Amino acid sequence: MVGLSNHLLYNIKDMKKGQDPLGSLEHVVLLSVMRLGTNAYGVSVRRDIQGTTGRDISIGAVYATLMRMQSKGFIRSYTGEPTAERGGRAKRYFRMTAGGESALRNTHEIILKMSAGLKGLQVS
Amino acid sequence: MHNRAVRWVGWVFSWLVPANEREALLGDLAEEYALRAQGASCAAAFRWYLRQVCVSAPPLLWVRVARAAWPGTVGVALLAYVAVAVVEITVNWAIAHLSAVGAAAYNPLGMALTFPMVVLIGYFAAGYRRSAAIVLAVMMLLAVSVMTLTTTEHVPLWYRVAYFLVGPAAAFIGSGLSRGRSGR
Repeated sequence: MVGLSNHLLYNIKDMKKGQDPLGSLEHVVLLSVMRLGTNAYGVSVRRDIQGTTGRDISIGAVYATLMRMQSKGFIRSYTGEPTAERGGRAKRYFRMTAGGESALRNTHEIILKMSAGLKGLQVS
Repeated sequence: MHNRAVRWVGWVFSWLVPANEREALLGDLAEEYALRAQGASCAAAFRWYLRQVCVSAPPLLWVRVARAAWPGTVGVALLAYVAVAVVEITVNWAIAHLSAVGAAAYNPLGMALTFPMVVLIGYFAAGYRRSAAIVLAVMMLLAVSVMTLTTTEHVPLWYRVAYFLVGPAAAFIGSGLSRGRSGR
Protein backbone atom coordinates (compact mmCIF):
# COMPACT_ATOMS: atom_id res chain seq x y z
CA MET A 1 0.00 0.00 0.00
CA VAL A 2 2.71 2.44 1.02
CA GLY A 3 4.73 1.37 -2.02
CA LEU A 4 1.76 2.05 -4.29
CA SER A 5 1.16 5.46 -2.73
CA ASN A 6 4.84 6.30 -3.10
CA HIS A 7 4.68 5.33 -6.75
CA LEU A 8 1.48 7.30 -7.38
CA LEU A 9 2.79 10.36 -5.61
CA TYR A 10 6.31 10.15 -7.04
CA ASN A 11 6.13 13.45 -8.89
CA ILE A 12 4.59 15.41 -6.05
CA LYS A 13 7.14 14.05 -3.59
CA ASP A 14 10.08 14.91 -5.81
CA MET A 15 9.12 18.53 -6.24
CA LYS A 16 11.03 20.86 -3.99
CA LYS A 17 9.24 23.89 -2.60
CA GLY A 18 9.47 26.78 -5.05
CA GLN A 19 10.21 24.46 -7.95
CA ASP A 20 6.64 23.27 -8.41
CA PRO A 21 5.41 24.09 -11.90
CA LEU A 22 2.92 26.94 -11.94
CA GLY A 23 -0.78 26.29 -12.47
CA SER A 24 -2.25 27.46 -15.77
CA LEU A 25 -3.73 30.67 -14.35
CA GLU A 26 -0.66 31.37 -12.19
CA HIS A 27 1.51 30.97 -15.27
CA VAL A 28 -0.52 33.42 -17.35
CA VAL A 29 -0.84 35.98 -14.52
CA LEU A 30 2.87 35.85 -13.72
CA LEU A 31 3.75 36.29 -17.40
CA SER A 32 1.46 39.30 -17.51
CA VAL A 33 3.08 40.82 -14.40
CA MET A 34 6.45 40.34 -16.11
CA ARG A 35 5.23 41.88 -19.39
CA LEU A 36 3.65 44.90 -17.70
CA GLY A 37 6.71 45.69 -15.58
CA THR A 38 6.09 48.73 -13.39
CA ASN A 39 2.46 49.08 -14.52
CA ALA A 40 1.18 45.71 -13.27
CA TYR A 41 -1.98 46.10 -11.19
CA GLY A 42 -5.39 44.37 -11.17
CA VAL A 43 -7.00 46.16 -14.13
CA SER A 44 -3.89 46.14 -16.35
CA VAL A 45 -3.21 42.44 -15.66
CA ARG A 46 -6.83 41.48 -16.40
CA ARG A 47 -6.88 43.52 -19.60
CA ASP A 48 -3.49 42.27 -20.75
CA ILE A 49 -4.60 38.64 -20.35
CA GLN A 50 -7.91 39.31 -22.09
CA GLY A 51 -6.26 41.23 -24.92
CA THR A 52 -3.53 38.65 -25.49
CA THR A 53 -5.29 35.34 -24.88
CA GLY A 54 -8.97 36.26 -25.31
CA ARG A 55 -9.61 34.73 -21.90
CA ASP A 56 -12.11 36.78 -19.85
CA ILE A 57 -10.89 36.28 -16.29
CA SER A 58 -12.75 37.85 -13.40
CA ILE A 59 -10.97 40.45 -11.29
CA GLY A 60 -11.54 38.20 -8.25
CA ALA A 61 -9.73 35.29 -9.91
CA VAL A 62 -6.84 37.62 -10.84
CA TYR A 63 -6.55 38.84 -7.24
CA ALA A 64 -6.89 35.36 -5.75
CA THR A 65 -4.03 34.23 -8.00
CA LEU A 66 -1.91 37.28 -7.21
CA MET A 67 -2.44 36.76 -3.45
CA ARG A 68 -1.50 33.10 -3.71
CA MET A 69 1.67 33.94 -5.64
CA GLN A 70 2.53 36.65 -3.17
CA SER A 71 2.31 34.16 -0.31
CA LYS A 72 4.61 31.85 -2.29
CA GLY A 73 7.08 34.70 -2.70
CA PHE A 74 6.80 34.89 -6.50
CA ILE A 75 5.66 38.52 -6.49
CA ARG A 76 5.68 41.45 -4.10
CA SER A 77 3.31 44.40 -4.00
CA TYR A 78 3.29 48.05 -3.09
CA THR A 79 0.55 50.65 -2.84
CA GLY A 80 0.35 53.54 -5.30
CA GLU A 81 -1.35 56.91 -5.00
CA PRO A 82 -5.16 57.17 -4.75
CA THR A 83 -6.88 58.54 -7.87
CA ALA A 84 -10.27 60.18 -8.45
CA GLU A 85 -11.29 57.79 -11.26
CA ARG A 86 -11.00 54.94 -8.74
CA GLY A 87 -13.22 56.66 -6.19
CA GLY A 88 -10.19 57.85 -4.22
CA ARG A 89 -8.81 54.35 -3.81
CA ALA A 90 -5.15 53.52 -4.28
CA LYS A 91 -3.76 51.01 -6.78
CA ARG A 92 -1.85 47.95 -5.65
CA TYR A 93 1.11 47.36 -7.97
CA PHE A 94 2.78 43.98 -8.32
CA ARG A 95 6.38 43.16 -9.22
CA MET A 96 7.92 39.81 -9.93
CA THR A 97 10.62 38.55 -7.56
CA ALA A 98 13.66 36.38 -8.33
CA GLY A 99 11.67 33.40 -6.97
CA GLY A 100 8.87 34.17 -9.42
CA GLU A 101 11.30 34.38 -12.30
CA SER A 102 12.78 31.04 -11.33
CA ALA A 103 9.30 29.43 -11.09
CA LEU A 104 8.42 30.87 -14.50
CA ARG A 105 11.65 29.55 -16.02
CA ASN A 106 11.05 26.13 -14.47
CA THR A 107 7.51 25.93 -15.86
CA HIS A 108 8.64 27.15 -19.26
CA GLU A 109 11.38 24.52 -19.31
CA ILE A 110 8.88 21.75 -18.51
CA ILE A 111 6.56 22.90 -21.31
CA LEU A 112 9.45 23.06 -23.79
CA LYS A 113 10.69 19.60 -22.80
CA MET A 114 7.23 18.07 -22.99
CA SER A 115 6.42 19.64 -26.35
CA ALA A 116 9.84 19.10 -27.96
CA GLY A 117 9.50 17.31 -31.27
CA LEU A 118 5.72 17.36 -31.30
CA LYS A 119 4.50 18.40 -34.70
CA GLY A 120 1.56 20.78 -34.98
CA LEU A 121 2.47 22.81 -31.90
CA GLN A 122 4.44 25.52 -33.69
CA VAL A 123 3.07 29.00 -32.93
CA SER A 124 2.44 31.02 -36.08
CA MET B 1 -29.29 55.42 -10.60
CA HIS B 2 -26.63 52.97 -11.75
CA ASN B 3 -23.92 54.74 -9.78
CA ARG B 4 -25.89 54.31 -6.58
CA ALA B 5 -26.53 50.64 -7.38
CA VAL B 6 -22.81 50.16 -8.06
CA ARG B 7 -22.00 51.67 -4.67
CA TRP B 8 -24.45 49.29 -2.94
CA VAL B 9 -23.21 46.22 -4.79
CA GLY B 10 -19.61 47.29 -4.09
CA TRP B 11 -20.38 47.71 -0.40
CA VAL B 12 -21.90 44.21 -0.16
CA PHE B 13 -19.02 42.77 -2.19
CA SER B 14 -16.43 44.43 0.06
CA TRP B 15 -17.43 42.01 2.87
CA LEU B 16 -16.20 39.11 0.79
CA VAL B 17 -12.84 40.63 -0.11
CA PRO B 18 -9.88 40.02 2.24
CA ALA B 19 -9.21 43.25 4.16
CA ASN B 20 -5.69 43.79 2.75
CA GLU B 21 -6.86 43.79 -0.85
CA ARG B 22 -10.24 45.49 -0.35
CA GLU B 23 -9.24 49.01 -1.35
CA ALA B 24 -7.20 47.97 -4.38
CA LEU B 25 -9.78 45.51 -5.69
CA LEU B 26 -12.75 47.84 -5.26
CA GLY B 27 -10.67 50.61 -6.84
CA ASP B 28 -9.91 48.36 -9.82
CA LEU B 29 -13.59 47.56 -10.23
CA ALA B 30 -14.51 51.25 -9.99
CA GLU B 31 -11.83 52.19 -12.54
CA GLU B 32 -12.96 49.63 -15.09
CA TYR B 33 -16.63 50.44 -14.48
CA ALA B 34 -15.93 54.12 -15.16
CA LEU B 35 -14.09 53.25 -18.39
CA ARG B 36 -16.93 51.03 -19.56
CA ALA B 37 -19.60 53.59 -18.61
CA GLN B 38 -17.81 56.18 -20.78
CA GLY B 39 -17.33 53.81 -23.72
CA ALA B 40 -20.70 52.05 -23.70
CA SER B 41 -23.89 52.67 -21.70
CA CYS B 42 -24.17 52.86 -17.92
CA ALA B 43 -26.55 49.88 -17.99
CA ALA B 44 -24.00 47.73 -19.84
CA ALA B 45 -21.25 48.83 -17.46
CA PHE B 46 -23.48 47.97 -14.49
CA ARG B 47 -24.21 44.52 -15.92
CA TRP B 48 -20.45 43.99 -16.31
CA TYR B 49 -19.91 45.14 -12.72
CA LEU B 50 -22.60 42.82 -11.38
CA ARG B 51 -21.21 39.87 -13.33
CA GLN B 52 -17.67 40.59 -12.05
CA VAL B 53 -18.93 40.64 -8.47
CA CYS B 54 -20.80 37.33 -8.93
CA VAL B 55 -17.94 35.43 -10.58
CA SER B 56 -15.30 36.98 -8.30
CA ALA B 57 -17.01 35.88 -5.09
CA PRO B 58 -16.08 32.14 -5.12
CA PRO B 59 -12.28 32.53 -5.59
CA LEU B 60 -12.14 35.37 -3.04
CA LEU B 61 -14.19 33.39 -0.53
CA TRP B 62 -11.82 30.49 -1.00
CA VAL B 63 -8.84 32.77 -0.27
CA ARG B 64 -10.51 33.85 2.97
CA VAL B 65 -11.21 30.27 3.99
CA ALA B 66 -7.67 29.19 3.10
CA ARG B 67 -6.14 32.05 5.10
CA ALA B 68 -8.15 31.43 8.26
CA ALA B 69 -6.69 28.73 10.50
CA TRP B 70 -9.52 26.62 12.01
CA PRO B 71 -12.36 27.47 9.64
CA GLY B 72 -9.99 26.55 6.79
CA THR B 73 -9.07 23.24 8.37
CA VAL B 74 -12.71 22.34 9.01
CA GLY B 75 -13.63 23.53 5.49
CA VAL B 76 -10.99 21.29 3.89
CA ALA B 77 -12.03 18.38 6.16
CA LEU B 78 -15.68 18.85 5.14
CA LEU B 79 -14.73 18.84 1.46
CA ALA B 80 -12.65 15.71 2.05
CA TYR B 81 -15.62 14.13 3.84
CA VAL B 82 -17.85 14.83 0.84
CA ALA B 83 -15.15 13.30 -1.41
CA VAL B 84 -15.06 10.18 0.79
CA ALA B 85 -18.87 9.91 0.60
CA VAL B 86 -18.77 10.23 -3.19
CA VAL B 87 -16.07 7.54 -3.43
CA GLU B 88 -18.01 5.21 -1.14
CA ILE B 89 -21.28 5.66 -3.03
CA THR B 90 -19.54 5.19 -6.39
CA VAL B 91 -17.70 2.05 -5.27
CA ASN B 92 -20.86 0.50 -3.78
CA TRP B 93 -22.83 1.39 -6.89
CA ALA B 94 -20.15 -0.11 -9.15
CA ILE B 95 -20.00 -3.32 -7.13
CA ALA B 96 -23.78 -3.65 -7.12
CA HIS B 97 -24.02 -3.12 -10.88
CA LEU B 98 -20.94 -5.01 -12.06
CA SER B 99 -20.94 -7.93 -9.67
CA ALA B 100 -22.49 -11.13 -11.01
CA VAL B 101 -24.06 -11.88 -7.65
CA GLY B 102 -25.72 -8.46 -7.52
CA ALA B 103 -25.69 -6.11 -4.58
CA ALA B 104 -23.85 -7.61 -1.66
CA ALA B 105 -24.74 -5.57 1.42
CA TYR B 106 -21.55 -6.22 3.35
CA ASN B 107 -18.89 -6.65 0.72
CA PRO B 108 -15.22 -6.65 1.81
CA LEU B 109 -14.29 -5.68 -1.76
CA GLY B 110 -16.00 -2.33 -1.25
CA MET B 111 -13.83 -1.60 1.78
CA ALA B 112 -10.69 -2.79 0.02
CA LEU B 113 -11.39 -0.45 -2.90
CA THR B 114 -12.39 2.50 -0.72
CA PHE B 115 -9.38 2.26 1.61
CA PRO B 116 -6.65 3.52 -0.80
CA MET B 117 -8.97 6.25 -2.06
CA VAL B 118 -9.50 7.53 1.49
CA VAL B 119 -5.72 7.39 2.05
CA LEU B 120 -5.29 9.60 -1.04
CA ILE B 121 -8.05 11.98 0.08
CA GLY B 122 -6.46 12.20 3.54
CA TYR B 123 -3.07 12.79 1.92
CA PHE B 124 -4.30 15.69 -0.20
CA ALA B 125 -6.41 17.16 2.63
CA ALA B 126 -3.34 17.19 4.88
CA GLY B 127 -1.41 18.82 2.05
CA TYR B 128 -3.82 21.75 2.09
CA ARG B 129 -4.25 21.89 5.87
CA ARG B 130 -1.95 19.94 8.12
CA SER B 131 -4.69 18.93 10.57
CA ALA B 132 -7.49 18.43 8.03
CA ALA B 133 -6.94 14.66 7.69
CA ILE B 134 -7.10 14.25 11.47
CA VAL B 135 -10.36 16.24 11.56
CA LEU B 136 -11.59 14.03 8.69
CA ALA B 137 -10.74 10.87 10.67
CA VAL B 138 -12.60 12.20 13.72
CA MET B 139 -15.60 13.11 11.56
CA MET B 140 -15.68 9.62 10.06
CA LEU B 141 -15.35 8.06 13.51
CA LEU B 142 -18.28 10.12 14.78
CA ALA B 143 -20.41 9.33 11.72
CA VAL B 144 -19.70 5.60 12.01
CA SER B 145 -20.47 5.68 15.76
CA VAL B 146 -23.81 7.39 15.17
CA MET B 147 -24.71 4.99 12.34
CA THR B 148 -23.72 1.95 14.40
CA LEU B 149 -25.75 3.09 17.38
CA THR B 150 -28.84 4.06 15.44
CA THR B 151 -29.09 1.27 12.86
CA THR B 152 -31.86 -1.29 13.24
CA GLU B 153 -30.36 -3.67 10.65
CA HIS B 154 -28.45 -6.77 11.60
CA VAL B 155 -24.84 -5.99 10.73
CA PRO B 156 -22.16 -8.70 11.03
CA LEU B 157 -19.63 -8.03 13.79
CA TRP B 158 -16.63 -8.16 11.42
CA TYR B 159 -18.24 -5.48 9.29
CA ARG B 160 -18.95 -3.26 12.31
CA VAL B 161 -15.33 -3.52 13.49
CA ALA B 162 -13.90 -3.01 10.00
CA TYR B 163 -16.27 -0.13 9.28
CA PHE B 164 -15.15 1.47 12.51
CA LEU B 165 -11.46 1.15 11.70
CA VAL B 166 -11.00 1.38 7.93
CA GLY B 167 -12.08 4.97 7.21
CA PRO B 168 -10.38 6.73 10.15
CA ALA B 169 -7.25 4.55 9.76
CA ALA B 170 -7.02 5.42 6.07
CA ALA B 171 -7.32 9.14 6.85
CA PHE B 172 -4.59 8.82 9.50
CA ILE B 173 -2.30 7.00 7.06
CA GLY B 174 -2.90 9.73 4.46
CA SER B 175 -2.01 12.35 7.04
CA GLY B 176 1.13 10.42 8.02
CA LEU B 177 2.22 10.12 4.38
CA SER B 178 1.72 13.85 3.86
CA ARG B 179 3.68 14.73 7.02
CA GLY B 180 6.42 12.32 5.96
CA ARG B 181 6.71 14.07 2.60
CA SER B 182 6.81 17.60 4.01
CA GLY B 183 9.23 16.53 6.77
CA ARG B 184 11.89 15.46 4.26
